[in-house]
Amino acid sequence: MSAHALYLHVPFCKSKCPYCDFVSFATRRDDPLMEAYINSLAFQIGEAAEAGLLEAPATAYIGGGTPSYAGESIVGLASRTASLGSLSELTLEANPESLTFDLSMMLRESGVSRLSIGVQSLDDAELSALGRAHDAKTARQALNRAVELGFDVSADLMCAIPLQTSSSWLDTLEGVLATGVSHVSVYPLMIEEGTAFARAVEAGEQVAPDDGDEALRMEEAEAVLSSYGFARYEVASYAKEGHNCLHNRAYWTGISYLGLGTGAASMFGREDFPALACAFPQLGMPPADAARIRLSCTTDRTYLAAHPALSEQSFEVEYLSLRESLAEDLMLGTRMSCGISPTLVSRARDVMGAQLDDCLSGLIADGYLVESLAPTRRGWLLGNELYGRLWELSSG
Amino acid sequence: MPKNDTSHIRNFSIVAHIDHGKSTISDRVLELTHTVEERDLDSQMLDTMDIERERGITIKSNAVRIMYDADDGETYQFNLIDTPGHVDFTYEVSRSLAACEGAVLVVDATQGVEAQTVSNAMLAMNAGLDIVPAINKIDLPSAEPEAVRAEIEEALAIPAEDAVCVSGKTGAGIHELLESIVFLISPPSGDADAPLKALILDSYFDAYRGVVATVRVFDGSIRAGDTLHMMQAGIDFLVDGVGVRRPLETPVEQLSVGEVGYVVTGLKDSAAVHVGDTLTGAGRRTAEPLPGYREAKPMVFTGLFPIDNKEYESLRDALEKLRVNDPSLTWAPETSVALGFGFRVGFLGLLHMEVVKERLEREFDLDLIGTSPSVDYHVFTTAGELLDIKSPQDLPAPEKIDRIEEPYLKATVIVPPEYMGAVIQLIIEHRGIQDNMVYLSDNSVEITFHIPLAELILDFFDQLKSRTKGYASLDYEFCDYRVSDLVKLDVLLAGELVDALSFIVHREKAYALARGLCDKLKEIIPRQQFEVPIQGAIGNKIISRSTVRAVRKDVLAKCYGGDISRKRKLLEKQKEGKKRMKQIGSVEVPQEAFLAVLKVDDG
Repeated sequence: MSAHALYLHVPFCKSKCPYCDFVSFATRRDDPLMEAYINSLAFQIGEAAEAGLLEAPATAYIGGGTPSYAGESIVGLASRTASLGSLSELTLEANPESLTFDLSMMLRESGVSRLSIGVQSLDDAELSALGRAHDAKTARQALNRAVELGFDVSADLMCAIPLQTSSSWLDTLEGVLATGVSHVSVYPLMIEEGTAFARAVEAGEQVAPDDGDEALRMEEAEAVLSSYGFARYEVASYAKEGHNCLHNRAYWTGISYLGLGTGAASMFGREDFPALACAFPQLGMPPADAARIRLSCTTDRTYLAAHPALSEQSFEVEYLSLRESLAEDLMLGTRMSCGISPTLVSRARDVMGAQLDDCLSGLIADGYLVESLAPTRRGWLLGNELYGRLWELSSG
Repeated sequence: MPKNDTSHIRNFSIVAHIDHGKSTISDRVLELTHTVEERDLDSQMLDTMDIERERGITIKSNAVRIMYDADDGETYQFNLIDTPGHVDFTYEVSRSLAACEGAVLVVDATQGVEAQTVSNAMLAMNAGLDIVPAINKIDLPSAEPEAVRAEIEEALAIPAEDAVCVSGKTGAGIHELLESIVFLISPPSGDADAPLKALILDSYFDAYRGVVATVRVFDGSIRAGDTLHMMQAGIDFLVDGVGVRRPLETPVEQLSVGEVGYVVTGLKDSAAVHVGDTLTGAGRRTAEPLPGYREAKPMVFTGLFPIDNKEYESLRDALEKLRVNDPSLTWAPETSVALGFGFRVGFLGLLHMEVVKERLEREFDLDLIGTSPSVDYHVFTTAGELLDIKSPQDLPAPEKIDRIEEPYLKATVIVPPEYMGAVIQLIIEHRGIQDNMVYLSDNSVEITFHIPLAELILDFFDQLKSRTKGYASLDYEFCDYRVSDLVKLDVLLAGELVDALSFIVHREKAYALARGLCDKLKEIIPRQQFEVPIQGAIGNKIISRSTVRAVRKDVLAKCYGGDISRKRKLLEKQKEGKKRMKQIGSVEVPQEAFLAVLKVDDG
């Protein structure tokens, strides 16, 4: 089997945004660590392929942090990834200010097919309140250029952010649509623990986003985007036909993926346990009833740069039973507009029996799912209740 | 010692206002007399329950025998009787004092005389005890022993020229204190040959030996093998053994006249052994029981319900286990539409209630909902019946009520004069009626007043502490029943009456309280998937309203790769949180909502 999807994490940014709790570190542009780290990732791709974990991945995603910030060295990693040969999608995450014309060209040549650009907003005041390093003009330029160069382009936007109004939000949406992007993702601002925003909210200097506003912005986004021919294929993702992100779909459908780099996560089923043991002898024996493993790499970036061998990486390891894996897939299935697939329902029913049907009919009755097990708008807005009830199926 | 010689016995208590250092002084006394070696002295030896130690208060009585080699070359037998230190347990204190000839009255050299200093001193003087004043914490820089000495004389009319200055912390003055006990406290008197007369101070249940009672012998003696009679309970039993606590239980041949020790009764029913009962010989009885006995009477009642109704039986078992060592605990089954099956439990006071609830949750691992405390109302119906109503749910319909009487307390607050106005205002707000006001000294005023018990158990004490910056002290005792214009305030959640949230309140305060309660509940009840109206009502009339808005959107985070585990952990945490809530109709209500009335800012 081996991994269907490959994720590479590049944890470097020009500066740390005050709302961000991802694994990323403000790093000087000339810090040799970046190149060394990226070379280590390229090395790890080779090792993983040799161990049989990367036989024919269909998609790859170079995320961060800000991969585009690393400049030319990221082009090398993209080429190495593309050389796997089997990819039908290779995405790179980029920020407008570092996605220069030259870099865009080189990425296109290296085999990157898709750019996910962190636009967030097209309002300068909002951008500066978010602590972003770019302005609206730079964002428009980056989007236009990427579209012209033939990339599949996603504009990543945030709603319910400080200063945002209905009208500025509509301007942002229409502004990015005017550039010809084929994909938009929309996330409401979250106040994450440990971030500068969380401290500001705590200190009373900033107001936490209001859930009514968030719901309204999400509804506005859906209305505008659908009028432009974008389908909402996942709770936060919109695309023109044929432009869904294949890589992200892997996360929501229980498909195995390999994540390399500090903070990256991997997931494999039982059938890959032998190949995993070969690549990562440090994991030891899985428990007898484990149906799935999820690894989260905890290796420090500096250590990883100097010690790329897979056997030297450290992980947070989590094993899931068959029942837990199924509950997780059910939960994630409801993020997508297609909902929970009939195949998944019948696999889950074999394990959970009538409990599954009780849960699903309850969710339909309460207006979270429709009969076809696709989420309703309510289900999407109140995801925690919906996911919570599905995840409860994990314990019998 | 000849059998009738009690000249070397001293029976005494140490009494003090809370935090004036009673327990540390006891510790130093045990240490200096080598009753307990320093290394074994777990701080505050006499308080044995975890909760007692945590809260720094004594709930149970205890008696320790100490042998003291005095400066006169003689060895004295001290029986140190520790007494509960809280107003909830005034009766138990009075029985402990009845077992003593003397009391050490501890006053904090930095705080001076406070409410319980006065009440304890009064109890001790009324019991005819010899009083040894001790001024504690003289090691502190802010100590003012001379001012406190003057205050003791002025406020308590106790001669204080002999007051011993001590420090429980450093041990300074403890030797002088022990000498004062020898010289200032009278030895017990009594007749060794008369029929047995002994007072039960306390008891506890031992799984192997049955009830073990702590007793003070006034006449006669007790030996293993004696058949004794409990005069109030009317029960006979065979003494399995006698002994003293040093502080570990040590069997002795006999408890002689004037002595304090324990008696192993072998009785399996702890409720048969009452604090204050008199022991005498089954065959050779004393003429009169000791005076002062009364039944422990619960004053405060609350509904206790397991969140998970399957735990009902466990709750009953736990209550029964606690009752074994706390016979004052009473309960009756109670059913609530909202909360299912539980018990209406009676307590001596609010502290007693808190301690019991905490022990049930901690020692028996129960998740409980406690409803707002109530008092015992006397309801006179139009049909001429008198009903004892301990739960708002049991109150008859208004048209069937002729009048309601509620219990009043006689309470005392001692406070520096600058807070007098604030205290009087608080008393008036809580329907109190001022009785008297006396300057105890330039720095302290004693205000006595009558107040409904129901008002006192709401937030009176917390308010008193906050409005006087902690300077006020409070003491109270039951006074009488008085007619009041009381109504039942109901609460409706999402249109459904939640019986467990009802409570009885004075009509004039009902509107403000209903408003405050609706607002407080709005804060406490988390937002749900739908809008939840909260209404306060008297009968069919809605008098206040607030609304918990529906959640429009809950957390929507990115959910790629590693986020998935994190998401699941959040969901599990969310589920744990829900477990602590009670589903009432379609609304999830947290435990603390049922005590919201105690937290309403402006009753």
